[in-house]
Amino acid sequence: MASQSSTPVQQQALSSTTSTSSKPKFSHPPVSILPSQFARGYALAHPAILLSLVIYRFSSVVNDPVVELLSDIPFLVGLQVVYVMGCLPPAGVEKDGSPSTDGTARKTPGHKRRGHSASKGSAWATGLVTVAWKLTPALLSLTLTTLLATPTLALLLVLFGAPLTTHHALTFLCAAHMALLSAFPLIYAHGVDGEIWREIWGASRPADAVWGGALGTCLGAWFGAVPIPLDWDRPWQAYPITILTGAYIGYVLGMLLGRAKGVFGKRLEFVPQGLTDIKVD
Amino acid sequence: MATPTTNSGRGVLSANSLLKQAQTASKNKSNDGAGKESEEEFKSKHLSILGVFLWIFFLHVVGIFFFTRGFLLTRMVLENKSSCDILPFDESTSSQIEQTGRDGCWHQKSFDKAIVIIIDALRYDFTVPFAPNENIESAHLFHDNIPVLYETAISSPQNAFLLPFIADPPTTTLQRLKGLTTGTLPTFVDAGSNFAGTAIDEDNLVAQFHAAGKNIVHLGDDTWHALFPGYFDLDLTRPFDSFNVWDLHTVDNGVNEHLFPLLEPQNYTKWDVIFGHYLGVDHAGHRYGPNHPAMAAKLNQMDQVIRELMSKIDDNTLLVVMGDHGMDSKGDHGGESDDEVNAALWMYSKKAIFGRTKPETVLPPKYARERFVPQIDLVPTLSLLLGIPIPFNNLGSPIEEAFSGPNGDHWTNLVTVNRLTSAQIKRYQHAYARTRGDDGAESQLLGFWEAAEQDWQTKGGKAKNLDSVYEAYRQYQRHTLQVCRGLWANFDVPSMVQGIAILFAGIVLLMFYARGLQADRTELTGFFLTRVGLGSVLGGLAGAASAFIYLTELKVPESSALFAAVGSILGASSVIFGTPQRLSIPLPKSLWGWLAVVFTVSQSVGFASNSYTIWEDEILLFFLCTFGVVAGVSSMRQGTTTDRVLGVYHSIVFVLLGRLASLSRLCREEQMPFCRSTYYASSTSSSSALWQLALPFLVMLVLPTVIKGFYAGSKSYEGAASLWIGIGFRLGLFITSIFWVLEEVDGKDWLPLDDETLKSIRVFLAQLVLGLAFAAGTTAFLYSKPCVSINVAQSAAEPEPTKRPSSPGEQQLPRTTVTILGFGNVHGTRFFFLAINFCLAITLMQKPMGQGTVALLLWQILSLLEILDTNSLVTSNSAIGPIVLALLGSFYFFKTGHQATLSSIQWETAFIPLTTVKYPWSPLLVILNTFGPQILTAVAVPLTVLWKRPLQLRDSNNASSKPALKLLSDVAQAAVTYALYFATINLATTMWAGHLRRHLMLFRIFCPRFMMGAATLAVVDVVLIFFSVAGVRWSTLSVAEIFGW
Repeated sequence: MASQSSTPVQQQALSSTTSTSSKPKFSHPPVSILPSQFARGYALAHPAILLSLVIYRFSSVVNDPVVELLSDIPFLVGLQVVYVMGCLPPAGVEKDGSPSTDGTARKTPGHKRRGHSASKGSAWATGLVTVAWKLTPALLSLTLTTLLATPTLALLLVLFGAPLTTHHALTFLCAAHMALLSAFPLIYAHGVDGEIWREIWGASRPADAVWGGALGTCLGAWFGAVPIPLDWDRPWQAYPITILTGAYIGYVLGMLLGRAKGVFGKRLEFVPQGLTDIKVD
Repeated sequence: MATPTTNSGRGVLSANSLLKQAQTASKNKSNDGAGKESEEEFKSKHLSILGVFLWIFFLHVVGIFFFTRGFLLTRMVLENKSSCDILPFDESTSSQIEQTGRDGCWHQKSFDKAIVIIIDALRYDFTVPFAPNENIESAHLFHDNIPVLYETAISSPQNAFLLPFIADPPTTTLQRLKGLTTGTLPTFVDAGSNFAGTAIDEDNLVAQFHAAGKNIVHLGDDTWHALFPGYFDLDLTRPFDSFNVWDLHTVDNGVNEHLFPLLEPQNYTKWDVIFGHYLGVDHAGHRYGPNHPAMAAKLNQMDQVIRELMSKIDDNTLLVVMGDHGMDSKGDHGGESDDEVNAALWMYSKKAIFGRTKPETVLPPKYARERFVPQIDLVPTLSLLLGIPIPFNNLGSPIEEAFSGPNGDHWTNLVTVNRLTSAQIKRYQHAYARTRGDDGAESQLLGFWEAAEQDWQTKGGKAKNLDSVYEAYRQYQRHTLQVCRGLWANFDVPSMVQGIAILFAGIVLLMFYARGLQADRTELTGFFLTRVGLGSVLGGLAGAASAFIYLTELKVPESSALFAAVGSILGASSVIFGTPQRLSIPLPKSLWGWLAVVFTVSQSVGFASNSYTIWEDEILLFFLCTFGVVAGVSSMRQGTTTDRVLGVYHSIVFVLLGRLASLSRLCREEQMPFCRSTYYASSTSSSSALWQLALPFLVMLVLPTVIKGFYAGSKSYEGAASLWIGIGFRLGLFITSIFWVLEEVDGKDWLPLDDETLKSIRVFLAQLVLGLAFAAGTTAFLYSKPCVSINVAQSAAEPEPTKRPSSPGEQQLPRTTVTILGFGNVHGTRFFFLAINFCLAITLMQKPMGQGTVALLLWQILSLLEILDTNSLVTSNSAIGPIVLALLGSFYFFKTGHQATLSSIQWETAFIPLTTVKYPWSPLLVILNTFGPQILTAVAVPLTVLWKRPLQLRDSNNASSKPALKLLSDVAQAAVTYALYFATINLATTMWAGHLRRHLMLFRIFCPRFMMGAATLAVVDVVLIFFSVAGVRWSTLSVAEIFGW
């Protein structure tokens, strides 16, 4: 590691340097889809619904992107809220229903056992209580998504070359859609836990539906920019249609892949561990 | 400030390490012999590394040369002009021509005035009645809407004729107007004196009309004004902007509005020749395609215009209507498909003058491929009809219908005009062969000429059987045209393949040398160079021998260069692939490596598409931003807080600076209307706006401080650094700012000084800056000490600054404290001086806007280096550092007001420090302006392995450890990786240009990009050899002098 090795004191002391990047401890396991019948089913149906919506609304997005993207937002919010509330454990609740030890997690007094028992619960009342209990984190996440994630993504879009002085509405709408896809489930599932968010920013979360979807959204958007410069003169090449389409496709793929066997729980490696050991000294 | 506070440990060596340090120093003292030996070894290895780079350069040059030889069709522009007094015949024969009583220059003129109407994109099938064929069964909207041409040619063949009029590709208006007025064929490089501008240097119709004293009026498409500046009557001429293809009517209505008044009797004497250029048909095609009601309406309007013109002209006026090219099925043009080259030509006169020699030629051809005439035929036809000399470079023939007389039997006239034209063609061929220095084409064709002359001599007197003489001259003309087409329009594919093969082999070897070799590159070089040298000498000899005994058609130097390259490739391969155990497949092993590959390869693939070539600047921004984001993410994974904070901070800075720089744009034509130029005051000027003049001052204030911040981060703002960066660099930037203010003042009368004085002040200032950067800077770079400060204190009360522990005795005192400031970045800060020198010179050579972006570039380079350091990419020799530097270099090429087009070269910068053109300085200055960013990043390449490189001292227990050689090997690896990027881009653009050599965008997009890629590669190679890798010698020596070998 640079700062270490550039301090000659240590450099000389550790003439046979070991792996210098002290691995951060991964204390937070990947997020699993809730075990209920509904959760399992909807976790598969949700990407299908999203994709069919993209296909169904595609031509109207091409015709009038601002109006269409704006009017799509309530639907997207609804779908994502159903998805996160139905399929994901909210922040502060571990998979098995035990409360998080993390102090920063939101307090959810009295309802922590619902994760498992919800499917068994027969009464409407139980269901209503569950919904109400989960609505708070969902609304909070929605607020944070709007206030923080959307401007951040809009800024990133501009940094990547989106028009600086024009197309502001489109940039913000595109960012809003992307934020609802990627950031909303992340915030819902992880809250504002600093340690987890450091992992997220470092792209070192273990693969799961939430992180996979978020990473997929960003990668999809990245690849979505590829056809824009081509001179095919197609109306759908207009900014930001391809980016957003890429983001949706990436989200669906990432979300499904993140849960797939053999991928779930794996972490992205920038530099293979063995390689750093050989090369550094 | 550039850097947030860093932990103080980073740059400071103190406390317990002092003992070790001091001991090593003392050991070196006592071990002077070993140090000397290491130094000698370092120097010789360094030289041999430079040898390897020279060989790489040689390969690139040979590869590019052989490709260019087959690809870049060049035609020399002769400036000879035909003149009225001198007939084109040789002295001996000219006496036979009777010159009496003629009204006109070389031939009796038939008309006094001419109206030449160009209907842009008037395709031949628009003008003839619809005739079904296998492709089209029923009439389209564009058929039968402009019947006047055909009707007149049928009803009064003696007054009008209509013929297919075939364009030579590229079918763009500018190239076509050149052909239509000069009578020559288009090539990519018309190598003449006026390389940058578009004005035609060659002899042409407009110039000849002008020389004959005719008053020329031009109405319509403003392309004419770029081509023929100063020839038109300013009072009557009305140019219109030609680029707005959405507007179908402004140009046409404007032409009509100004054309018809000129035909009124009171105005008829004011002009002799009118060129009217209508654009509506072309724009209708671009906008709607030919099969659209708007096209039909437009053609109908043109029909009315022509009818009105016919009614208004007098007997002595020739009316010509033609298309300069056709259009394809979508209404576009530029390429060489049949629909694009098939235009129409129609001539009309009130007096009966036109004829047909055969009954089957009375009707205009049904299809464009029957009885067509090349467009250049217009040149001799118009010249001879109007009694002016045939332009010198003409290759066209007189059109038969125009000279065969009303009865179609005026053979004497036909023979005379064809003999004149042939003689002019022969004269041109002779002059061209003489200028070029070989007579390949001329001697092949002389036979035809002599046969025709022979025929003329024997039958000249009689009026009968002249048709065979006419045919003989025609044969000579058409054969010459064919041969010239071959010379100027055919690619030499084998030569192109040879060039590509050499470039490809070079890349494979570079790739294994840079990324696949597991050994120390310095160990290999001696052996490597021997084999390469042997291979090239043997190859060179073999090549020369085979050229001598005519095994190849190449000349001796070309052949020996080719074979030497092949031989050296074989020699190098034998070394690299000879020992497979030290070889690994050069595939990336980390995300960073893959990122480097993706950036390079995807860009290379993208050059196959004109869109990705046009938008290269945006794509580079996209890649750089991607790198910045990945770097930020990677920084978040680092273990220590310092690394995390610094890494993320510099990643953000890197991305923001890149986006800021991207606001400086000079759009190329193809980017319109999605791009707005900001580089100059406006899109139509090439001078800076007033606010831009503040940029150099801002750079002067901010940039040295920024650099200081980066130096201070490792406590390296010591020694020469403060003098150099804080004073020298800043002074240079200040003088630069003054220079550019004075440059702007020029011609504005703001100062009570005349232009002469101002110019000499500016030249003085510019030379001062260059002297500061290169003369003083280089001297200082060679002799300066590293940026460290060493304090040896025997007690806290008595600090005693010395350059180094001066005697071994000092270390025996146990309480001695030695503090070395700037220890953590000795190599990097020392070498960075070279980058500062180049930055100063390059800044001077840029326009004010470019100076701002060059400053951003230097800042981004420093941020990149910090990112590399905090992500431990310096010590792992990752490919990403050099590749991102290369991306930065390419990106800022576009941000300093350049594009991959010839027209964006800022030639005027050659005069920044000079008053006249001086070789070799003027081209070097233009190179410094054009490729400044690539040069600066090339100079910075060694920094990717030197920045904050841990100073490894020779381990006394291990005699074989040679840190200096390891450093050299790493530098070589980084530099080769950097060169690999440009070599790959060059190979890709070369291959695509070769592959797409028939593409309609070849001349506008692929060919300029190929030229830019080749030039960049050559420049980068030279800079790597002579400056960046060479500079490592002195920076390493100076570090080793203090810290031992």
